[in-house]
Amino acid sequence: MLKSRVKWSRRCWLVCLLIIGAVVSIIWSCNNQQFYQRPIGKVVSVQVTHQQKTQDQFNNRDQQFKQRVTMKIMNGRYRGQRVTANNTYSKSGGMDQKYRRGQQAFLTQLRSDHGHLTANVTSLKRDTTVVILTWLVILLLIIMMGKVGVFALFSALLNVGLFIVAIQIDIATQAQYILPVFAGFSFLMALSTLTFVYGWNKQTFATLLATMLGVGISLGTFLLVSSLTNERGIYYEAMQFVTQNYRLLYLAEIMIGCLGAVMDESSDILATMFEVKRLDPQVQWRKLFAAGRQVGQTVMGPLTNILLMIFLFSTLTNAVLMLRNGNSWGYTFSMTMSLGVAQSLVSGIGIVVTIPVVSLVTSLLIAKEGTK
Amino acid sequence: MSTIMALGLVLLILMVIVGGRQGWVAFLSLFLNFCYFYIGLVLVALHVTPLWVTLVLGTLILATTIFMGTEDLRVSVSAFEAAFIVMIMVVSLVLLTEHFVQATGFSLENSNELEGMSILIGINYVKVGEMTMILSCLGAVAELTIALASGLREIISGQPLLKATALLTSGLQIGQHIIGTTLNTLLLGFLGNFLALFVWFFGLNYSFGAIFNNKLLVTELVTVLISFIGVIIAVPITCGLVIWNSQKGVDKDKESQYDTGNE
Repeated sequence: MLKSRVKWSRRCWLVCLLIIGAVVSIIWSCNNQQFYQRPIGKVVSVQVTHQQKTQDQFNNRDQQFKQRVTMKIMNGRYRGQRVTANNTYSKSGGMDQKYRRGQQAFLTQLRSDHGHLTANVTSLKRDTTVVILTWLVILLLIIMMGKVGVFALFSALLNVGLFIVAIQIDIATQAQYILPVFAGFSFLMALSTLTFVYGWNKQTFATLLATMLGVGISLGTFLLVSSLTNERGIYYEAMQFVTQNYRLLYLAEIMIGCLGAVMDESSDILATMFEVKRLDPQVQWRKLFAAGRQVGQTVMGPLTNILLMIFLFSTLTNAVLMLRNGNSWGYTFSMTMSLGVAQSLVSGIGIVVTIPVVSLVTSLLIAKEGTK
Repeated sequence: MSTIMALGLVLLILMVIVGGRQGWVAFLSLFLNFCYFYIGLVLVALHVTPLWVTLVLGTLILATTIFMGTEDLRVSVSAFEAAFIVMIMVVSLVLLTEHFVQATGFSLENSNELEGMSILIGINYVKVGEMTMILSCLGAVAELTIALASGLREIISGQPLLKATALLTSGLQIGQHIIGTTLNTLLLGFLGNFLALFVWFFGLNYSFGAIFNNKLLVTELVTVLISFIGVIIAVPITCGLVIWNSQKGVDKDKESQYDTGNE
C-alpha cells in the first residue's frame, strides 16, 4: 500500500514537472518568431473588399472573396511595423484560406513602398497547435501508464528517428538502394521496439524473426501476384509526391506500413504461446500451435482493418475532388484509391500469413526444448 | 484479372484457410468497411454535410468491426459503447484543433497532380479533412476496445467476486500492454503511408521550421496525434464501462435472487 502511494506521488511530481514544461514550451512556440528566417505577421484587422460567385464547367458553385489583411510584423527588419496584404480565399478553401484576427502567418515579398509596407500572406503559422497536441499525448500517456508510457513514448521517438535516418541515407545514396536501406531500417525498428518493450530474451528473438518473415512473405506475394497479373489496375502514376523510383518507393511504403501491425500480432501470439508453455512445460507442439493460431484468428481482422482505415481515408480529399471534376467512379477509384487498397490487401496478407508461420516455428522451437 | 482482385482473392483464401469461419467474417467486415468508405465518398461529393456523414459512417464502422470481431455479446456491447464515446470525444477534439490549424485541402506540393482540375468545387475542404482525421483512427480504437474488453471480461468470469477497484487496476494493466503495440501499429502505418512525402521534404531540404508549419505535414501530424489520443483515452473508458456493465449485471442477478416478491 505504502509502496504504491510512493509510486503515485512520484508520478504526480513527474506530471507537475511535465505540465510546467508544457506551458513553457507552448508560450515559447507562440513567441518564437525571431527563430524564423521568414517574416511573420500577426493579423490585427481584416476587411472583405470584394466577393464574387464562381461556377466551373462541371457546375460546381463556389464563392471567392478578397480580403485586406492588416498585420503587425513580429520579427526581422521591420519588426513592430504595420503591413497590409491582400488575400484571396474561397468558401471551399482548397489551396487558400481565410485569415482571422489574432492568427499569425508567414509573409513573402515584404517590401517598402513609399514608406508603406506591403506583402503577400502565404500560410498560417501552425507550430503552436502541434506543440499543444504533442504535450497532450505525452501527458495522457504518462498519467495513464506511468513507466510503461515513458517506454512507449521513447520507442515511438526512436522509430521516428530511425525512419528519418533511413530517408537521409536513401537520399544521400541517390536512391540507389531504396529497398536494402528500408529493409535494414525496418529490421532496426523492429529490433529496437521489441527490446524496448520486452528486453532481450528468447521471446524477443522469436518475435523479431517472425515479424521479418511475415513482412518478407507479404512483399514476395505482392511481387508474385502483380507480375502474374501484369500490374493491371495498379496505377503507379497516381502516387503522390514521388521524387524517386515509384515502384521501389511503393514497396518500401508497404514494408514500413505493415511492419507495426505484424509486430503487434506476433507479439500477441507469442505472449500467449510462451504463457501456455510456462503453465505446462510438457505441452505438445500441436497444442501450442493451436493456441497461437487461436490468438491469431481473433486479431487478424481488426489489425488489417486499422491499416485499411488509414490507407483508405487518406485518399478521401483527392477522391472528392476527382468526382466533382466530372470523372467516373471507376476512374476515380483507379487514380486515387487503387494503391491504398492494394497496400491494405498486401498488409492483410502479411498479417494472415504470419499466424501459421509464427505458431509453427515457435511451437517446434519451444516444445522440443521441454522434451530434452 | 486485375491485380487488386487477385490480391483480394489471395487474402480471402488465406483468411479462410487460417481462420475458418472467422476468416470469412474478417474478410466480410473489411469489405463492408470499404463499402462504407465508398458510400461516404459519394455522399460528400453530393454535398451532404460531411460531419453528419462522419457520425453515421463512424458508428457503422465501429459496429461492424466490433460486433463482427467478437462473438461474446457482453464483450462487444461494452466495447461498442466505449468506442462510441471515444469517437464523440475525438470528433470534438478534431473540430477544436481544425479551428486553429486549418490544415486541410491541398498545398503547393500538390500542384503537379492538380493541374487541369477545378479546385473551387463548393465543398468545404476543412470539413472533408476533419472527416479523414476522425475516421482514420476508428480502426485502431475498435481494435483496442475489443482486445481490452475481452481481456477484462475473462478476468471477471475467472474471479466474479473481485471488487471494482481491483478490476480497474488489472484492466489498466492489460491496457498498458495493448496500448504500446497499438500505438506502434498506428505510427508505422502512418509513416508507411506517407513515406514519399517525407522523402520529398528531406530531398528538397525543407528547413525544420518549414516542415513543422507545412500544411500537409501538419495534417499528418495532427491525424497521428489525435489517433494516439483516441487510443489512449479508450483504455480507461473501456475499463470503466466493462466493469460498470458487469456490476449492473451482478446486481440485477442478486436482486432477482433475493428481492423477489418485494415489489
